[in-house]
Amino acid sequence: MNKYIVPNLLRILILFLVQILVFKQITFTLDNKIFVHFLIYPLAILQLPIKTPRMVLLLVAFILGIGLDVFYDSLGIHAAALVLTAYIRGIIIAMIEPYEGYNVNDVPTIRNFGIGWFVYYLSLALIIHIFVYFSIEAFSFVYFFEIMLNSIFSFIVSFIVIMLSQLIFRPKF
Amino acid sequence: MYNVIQLLIKYGAHILFVVLEIICFTLIVNKNDTQQAIFLNSSNVLAGKLEAQRSTLLEYSNLKNLNDSLLRENATLIENLISIEYSNELIPGSDTVLAQYSLIPTKIINSTINQRNNHFTLNKGSREGLYPGMGVIASHIGLIGIIRNTSDNFAHVISLLNSQTRISCTVKNRTGHGTLVWENADPLRMTLISIPKHEQIEVGDTVITSGYSTMFPRGILVGKIESIKVPPGSNSYAITVKLFNDLTSVKYAYVIQNRFAAEQIKLENEVGHE
Repeated sequence: MNKYIVPNLLRILILFLVQILVFKQITFTLDNKIFVHFLIYPLAILQLPIKTPRMVLLLVAFILGIGLDVFYDSLGIHAAALVLTAYIRGIIIAMIEPYEGYNVNDVPTIRNFGIGWFVYYLSLALIIHIFVYFSIEAFSFVYFFEIMLNSIFSFIVSFIVIMLSQLIFRPKF
Repeated sequence: MYNVIQLLIKYGAHILFVVLEIICFTLIVNKNDTQQAIFLNSSNVLAGKLEAQRSTLLEYSNLKNLNDSLLRENATLIENLISIEYSNELIPGSDTVLAQYSLIPTKIINSTINQRNNHFTLNKGSREGLYPGMGVIASHIGLIGIIRNTSDNFAHVISLLNSQTRISCTVKNRTGHGTLVWENADPLRMTLISIPKHEQIEVGDTVITSGYSTMFPRGILVGKIESIKVPPGSNSYAITVKLFNDLTSVKYAYVIQNRFAAEQIKLENEVGHE
């Protein structure tokens, strides 16, 4: 178990830095209405080992979220969305459990479960995260249409970036 | 105590989730200006929707008041139009002329149009300052008739569409004046008689009131000339005028109050008696 701590901490740190140093800067708008955000940090939570205790997941998500919020000047928004994502991660993993089940030390990667499973897992978790994120940001379902558009476009770009990173680096842990 | 610990072990993650989310949302609402504004606003959106619903429901009961205020506003505007007509054409800078005419908005509560002699009834009477002999117009465009009789709260108007109607009219930008009468049974057309046939008049000219009576100020638009005929053996035209307003559908009317009417009539009568 211990061999997972260092790579995961590293991954969290790298994703955190990449998010605030790179992807925060290339946020853009379409048609002056649709906000397209690159949200790649959920990967840090999604790629923790499958049997990670839920408590740990939630705490890591909370700390990472608050850290991002400090840089995004949006105290609580990323944290709230990420804590929710961490909470439902277990449900998604249970939902799409492969026929042979999970091993104790499995890490949700392409290498371990194949690209089909990973795309399924990532898209489900990511779309929920992004939708929740924009909902909390708008803080009112009066803007439901805008929230939907923002979510869809942001999901597409974030998904592409995360998939590319997975295919390029093919992480073992 | 043991139960509490067991509960914590069993549902610890869920409790932690709820606690963390509460912390997050507390932070969101307390630290972020926009969310704070929206948080207050969202309740306002709901309240606003309710208010809008309520006002649409109550709007109908307010329509009467709204109409009355619009009528008064219209009356002032038409007064101004009449004043402008006078200040341009008559005595420049005369305050008395500007104040000569004022309008009283009324509602038509009864009307006939299909008879040889048609009438209107207005919902205001002598209590509101309406007296026999006052002119009634639909707006700056369009005459309605002349008050014949008033009670305390109602006024009886001889419609334009009446065989007794005689209104002094002239043609805009031309000389000479004639009398507007209703000869045929068409509620949209009247006849302008006794304009001498040496006057230059063309089809399409606009007929306006002449102002040679105490009832109507000069310049109320009446209608357009549709055809011009000279009856054989006559010295004057018989001009068919198509009215601008449709008397069959008129609902509101303005009574013209001429402040100097009594003075003018008195003076004219004195001259007549000599």
